[in-house]
Amino acid sequence: MKHNPRWRPFMGVAALATAGALALSACSGSGSNGDPSSSGEAPGGEDVTLTVWHYYNTDGQVATLEKMADAFEAAHPGVSVEYEYIPVDQMTTKAVTAAGAKTGPDVLVFGASGTYDLSQSGAIEPMDWFDSFADAGQFPDGAKQYVDGTLYGVQGFVNLLGLWYNQDLMTELGIAAPPTTMDELEADMAKAVAAGKEGITLTGKPGLESQWQGFPWFTSNGFSYGDAQAAPMAKTYAQLQSWVDKGYLSKEATTWDQTIPFQEFAAGNSLFAVNGNWQIAAAQEASFSYGVSLLPLTSDGGILLGGEVQNIGAFSEHKDLAEQYLEETFFSTAGQLDLLSGFGAIPTRADAAADSAISSDPILSVFADIVQKQGRPSPSPQVPSKNVNAVETLMGDYWSKAIAKSGSPDQLADELMTQLTPLLQK
Amino acid sequence: MVSPITKATSRQDRSDQVSQRSSSGVSAPPKTARGRRRGAGARLAFALPAAALLLALAVWPVVQLARMSLHEVTGATLNHEWDFIGFDNYTALFDSPDFRHVVTNTLAFVVVVTVLGMVGGFLAAISVWSGTRGGNILLAMMVFVWALPPVINGSIWKFLLGDSGLVNGVLKATGITSQSIGFLYDSRFALWSVALVNAWAVIPFNALIFRASLISVDESVLEAAEVDGAGPYQRIRYILAPHARAAATVLTVLTIVYAFRSFDFIYVMTAGGPGTSSTTLPYLAYVQAFAKLNYGAGAATALLSLGVVVVFALVYARDVRRNEEN
Repeated sequence: MKHNPRWRPFMGVAALATAGALALSACSGSGSNGDPSSSGEAPGGEDVTLTVWHYYNTDGQVATLEKMADAFEAAHPGVSVEYEYIPVDQMTTKAVTAAGAKTGPDVLVFGASGTYDLSQSGAIEPMDWFDSFADAGQFPDGAKQYVDGTLYGVQGFVNLLGLWYNQDLMTELGIAAPPTTMDELEADMAKAVAAGKEGITLTGKPGLESQWQGFPWFTSNGFSYGDAQAAPMAKTYAQLQSWVDKGYLSKEATTWDQTIPFQEFAAGNSLFAVNGNWQIAAAQEASFSYGVSLLPLTSDGGILLGGEVQNIGAFSEHKDLAEQYLEETFFSTAGQLDLLSGFGAIPTRADAAADSAISSDPILSVFADIVQKQGRPSPSPQVPSKNVNAVETLMGDYWSKAIAKSGSPDQLADELMTQLTPLLQK
Repeated sequence: MVSPITKATSRQDRSDQVSQRSSSGVSAPPKTARGRRRGAGARLAFALPAAALLLALAVWPVVQLARMSLHEVTGATLNHEWDFIGFDNYTALFDSPDFRHVVTNTLAFVVVVTVLGMVGGFLAAISVWSGTRGGNILLAMMVFVWALPPVINGSIWKFLLGDSGLVNGVLKATGITSQSIGFLYDSRFALWSVALVNAWAVIPFNALIFRASLISVDESVLEAAEVDGAGPYQRIRYILAPHARAAATVLTVLTIVYAFRSFDFIYVMTAGGPGTSSTTLPYLAYVQAFAKLNYGAGAATALLSLGVVVVFALVYARDVRRNEEN
């Protein structure tokens, strides 16, 4: 056949397009072809990749994830676990937009505040399968995330805050024991400042983290999301600002996330640090003896039980395998003890929580005690699910403003209430 | 750069060539209506890919943004039908206690970045223009600074401006201050600190553009001015500055747009804080959309910012066209 020369360029383009399409179809041909893993094994020797989205970035966290993946891969020949790190502030948005394109990971490890948005956007599905998990009874209700009564996530562990103290500095300053009341805390911080040290470090960066850090203090002063009033918040802000004025707390905290204040503490610059159990590995770098105690709160005060939630991605092509992955890693006794030894994550399973690794450890045993005595569910049940992100971000922003002294305590508390009240209405 | 006289001559030459071609015996056949249609069709075909790309990548996202700003769109509803709420997102934005403060921050930020970026860029261009070894080293350093990702740049400055950073260390060592200055956490300084760093980061780009425009300055003119007794300041004031005027006009618009949409340095250095002390409109849009997952509110703020940028983009386009015509 003889081609018309005028059509030659178009034929070239068409040939290229056809070749490209063939190449693409050849590539995709080796990918997904239905569910190859209904038995939880890679069928017929075909390799299956299980994708897990998470936002862990410390060495201990990453090493623990790899350890769990190795164990799972060894038990499931032909299966490889691929972790994808998504920065914490992008996780919900990325999962929601992926769901819009009807795609996403096999397993999601996400922050509890994102549960509502992820469930409503279709990025995750109800965890109906969890009831048939043989060990489901090991998990307390507080470790389960519900939206309108439907289970949308389970926490394999909890993270929480405690009061880290520098034992050597306390001895040097003549402080016999960690503080148990606010007056004792302030007296100890005054001694530290007089000795040229900081009193306390905590995060004051605008956003979610600061809500988490602020919650113990403002609930200790009588604030509750169920009956939000300005007075307890004004009292909390006045307390914070007096700490800044007296040099107990650096104003620089307004630029600190939860990592930097602990680095300050571990460097020996501060007597106390309000920080979490996941800092256990980082604390070992400190050149002084240290300990953890309960935050000196009133009986109204509580500590949010954070930690990440796990569920299967709604568009996973290997849902059975993903279930097995969660059951054998985050939800298993061995997996939870790995998380515990890797980065101090407190297990939620009753049997793992009773392990001697916790009771015999002077730091972990205190955190386990805090869970019992001061633990509160996160997000707070009184906050309407659809407004969790907005409420927590707002509270965090005003915590930051208070440290920065962007207004008087009363003025900030009134401004906060104006914006908070409508968000708390169901 | 071609001098005005040379340019006029060239234009005249071209016009002569055209008239000679027209008057030659081999004139082009007159175009028929069909031929004109085919020509127009071919032009349209060539323009089509670019137009399609623009529609898909520029116009369509803006249309979506505008649509989103008029609906209630959150993380939960993004993948469902959006509820139309009219201008509620805009009303909420204007009623927000932080809105005026954020707008003022944005304007202050733009002024600082633009003024320092332009003046600094011009002075840096003059410093490297001479082509001496020192000038070349400075030029290489500026290209390095320009090529650094803003996240790295911002993180370095965050350390430098910290309580135990180099800047506070020098200030305390020289006795200028006894206490550390809270460059990034004191609400009086946070915005200005980030703006200064942002200006510092844009100076290399501006310097490179200014330098390109100054390369065509005839050195004999400068030598003649020197012979006539003009000092360095006068040579800059009366020869170099007028020569760079065209570049400066375009660059001013580009720097304003750069400053107005600036986000990365704020994100890295202060996260808009303390409180909202260093929050600008683009950062506010980010917080609303990606921290609070209120995409509708974020879209309204982003569209407002976009409106301002579009005004400057139109000024830029007009200036470019005017320069080309001249």
